Amino acid sequence: MEAATAHAEHHHGPPAANVSSRVEAQFLGMLLFIISEVMLFGAFFTAYFFVRVVAADDWFPINEVDLPKAIAGVNTAILISSSFTMHWALEGARNENRNALRVGLLTTALLGLTFLTIQVNEYVHLGFAPHDHAQGTIFYGLTGLHGAHVFVGLTLLTFATIRAFRGHFTAKEHRGVEVPGIYWHFVDVMWIFVYSTVYLL
Amino acid sequence: MLNPLRSEQEAFRFLLYVAVVMAVVVGIVLLVRALG
Repeated sequence: MEAATAHAEHHHGPPAANVSSRVEAQFLGMLLFIISEVMLFGAFFTAYFFVRVVAADDWFPINEVDLPKAIAGVNTAILISSSFTMHWALEGARNENRNALRVGLLTTALLGLTFLTIQVNEYVHLGFAPHDHAQGTIFYGLTGLHGAHVFVGLTLLTFATIRAFRGHFTAKEHRGVEVPGIYWHFVDVMWIFVYSTVYLL
Repeated sequence: MLNPLRSEQEAFRFLLYVAVVMAVVVGIVLLVRALG
């Protein structure tokens, strides 16, 4: 038995039929998902740049209604902070620091929830609707698409947080935190592009 | 080479790079607009 185990550990042949030799299934799934998401956001950004080019100088403010850059800026800081807490949570998992893992995940989820709440509040007070003009359509389309991704990320984080409080995850086995973490950072990267192009430029 | 899809650590580093690069790009564009 020991000889067989030792042989398996030093085996350099092809992997089992259902196992990739390089990427674990959970990472491969998230990798393919994020690649498809980049294409989805790419389509929305294409529509956004089309509207910007066609409308020329007619971007916000429109009819004296401007985008709330400062509030969105604070929201951006909140979302980027949540990536730091996510990273802290994973470092906690790696170092068997259960408190850091739990508090990090919980803080990340709360910051994400705060971001989403502020965005919904922004929508309520904006003063224009998606059907008012093409600029409004693409604004709600792009920021709404991103908001939907934050919601998905929050769902993943909720599962990870519940598992962390139930005692799951160790220094060796923490894919349930790392995979949502990669997704969360991706969502933050997308927001940096959305905020920079839609609000600032 | 940095691959943000390989691990959370690299994804986090990629996020920081993007934040810095976009801050520089936005800064330059706003400066050029203000001067022009």
